[in-house]
Amino acid sequence: MADQDALVAHEITHRYSKRGPLVLKGVSFTARRGEIVGLIGQSGAGKSTLLRCINGLITPTSGTLLTLGLNVAHLPESARRTVRRRVGMIFQEFNLLDRLTVMKNVLVGRIGYLSTFRSCLHLFPSSDRKKAAECLAMVGLAGFERRRARDLSGGQKQRVAIARAIAQGAEIILGDEATANLDARTTDAIMEILVMLARERNTLVFLSIHDLDIARRYCNRVLGLRGGTLVFDAHPDTLSKDVVEEILK
Amino acid sequence: MSATQDVEIAQDPAAEPARTFAQVAFSIGTRVLVSALLVTIVVWAFAGIQFDFTNLHQGLISGRHYMAQMFPHNIAELQYASRVLIGNWPYLVQTIQIAIVGTVVGAIPALPLCFLAARTTSLFRPLAVVVKTALNIGRSVPILIYALLTVCIIGLGAPAGAIALAFGSFVMLTKLYAEALESVSPGPVEAVRAVGGSPAQVFVFGMLPQVFPNFISATLYALELNMLSSFVLGFVGAGGIGFNLQNYLRLYQMLDAGVLVFLLIILVNIVDYLSYRIRMLFA
Repeated sequence: MADQDALVAHEITHRYSKRGPLVLKGVSFTARRGEIVGLIGQSGAGKSTLLRCINGLITPTSGTLLTLGLNVAHLPESARRTVRRRVGMIFQEFNLLDRLTVMKNVLVGRIGYLSTFRSCLHLFPSSDRKKAAECLAMVGLAGFERRRARDLSGGQKQRVAIARAIAQGAEIILGDEATANLDARTTDAIMEILVMLARERNTLVFLSIHDLDIARRYCNRVLGLRGGTLVFDAHPDTLSKDVVEEILK
Repeated sequence: MSATQDVEIAQDPAAEPARTFAQVAFSIGTRVLVSALLVTIVVWAFAGIQFDFTNLHQGLISGRHYMAQMFPHNIAELQYASRVLIGNWPYLVQTIQIAIVGTVVGAIPALPLCFLAARTTSLFRPLAVVVKTALNIGRSVPILIYALLTVCIIGLGAPAGAIALAFGSFVMLTKLYAEALESVSPGPVEAVRAVGGSPAQVFVFGMLPQVFPNFISATLYALELNMLSSFVLGFVGAGGIGFNLQNYLRLYQMLDAGVLVFLLIILVNIVDYLSYRIRMLFA
């Protein structure tokens, strides 16, 4: 595994229950830091499952998946948490804590670095608060610190989610249909931030996307999943109509 | 959708399979039988207690006389009512105290137990079913029965009333807290797990902000109910203003009873308003 490899998947499979169907069927790929990888496929193709395997929320049934050089499946839960804090995740439904302020939501990204006792009492050090404020400024939400998350628009909520991932110090950012609920203009703004993170911070951005136009414009590599099998892995320029139909059929 | 499409869907044999005559007859027959049974039960209940609308009318006429006596009609009665109010003030305070103590003592054990009662947080699902069944049994006992039991066990007075209310609050709040836990949105929980949160952090950041307003709301609801219940606890000797109210009613001291009913209405509305403000604060 090269230093620049952030993800190495070898023949990974996953099924949710012992007798359930295979959701992932021998998926293999390598993704490097600084890449923007788009993951496309029909609903139920295994995109969300693959993302959850990558950050250790679920464990592959077989195969090897190295996330930042660590085989998450073989790690105890406490060590898995250490890996998870290096992998940011942004969700289609944002998954913010609506009652909490924008600042608190971003600070959630820091809880992996604090003792349980301190974090549960919301005793975040001033350095974390400063970092969170910087992250909010980076995504264009300076001055929103005291607003409640529930009062934000969809685009603003997704920016908060990205700020949380940046505050986390994430070396990989996973996006599960992160722009699916956003309008075209907001989608572009969110994608620009992710491109900036890939270029300037050498972050691997790994997004499940249903909009092929976004994949063509922003990704420098596209993976296609069909029925849990990886059927496409190339530059988005090679995504012809026939290829897309083959992936999505 | 156009009318033509409606017709097409209605005529689609796959949309709703045609029923046989026997099936239709059975369906109508069942409904008629159930309706007839329900009517019979209602008639049986009215006949059983010899409920008579003529008696009800006469009762309302005489009741109007007593109702009128519950209000002061002149300055002297108003002064008397104010003396009754001052004299009952300590008992009113005790009634409020019983309700508060009952709610708090009931809520404290409900907080840990609700995690065992909720399907989403219980150690294993059968345990949640067992806990919920036990709670339902506890909820089926009226609060006055609890009060009679506690008076028998620890004697007359306010502590017996507070413990009775605590029992009632405990079973109700455990169920309401468990339902709040079961309604937690999994998204924020997963988000906190995804940033590397420990189980305690997942609870504090992922679940607690979601359930906290519901916990507060349920506790205040229990307090409101306990304020009402604590008024009648005195009827069975479990402390509070209810004992005096019962005596006034027995002795037909309607003005005195009216003062206490007035106090009850004011108290319940104040608690209702304060509950609303507190709920808004934590929403």
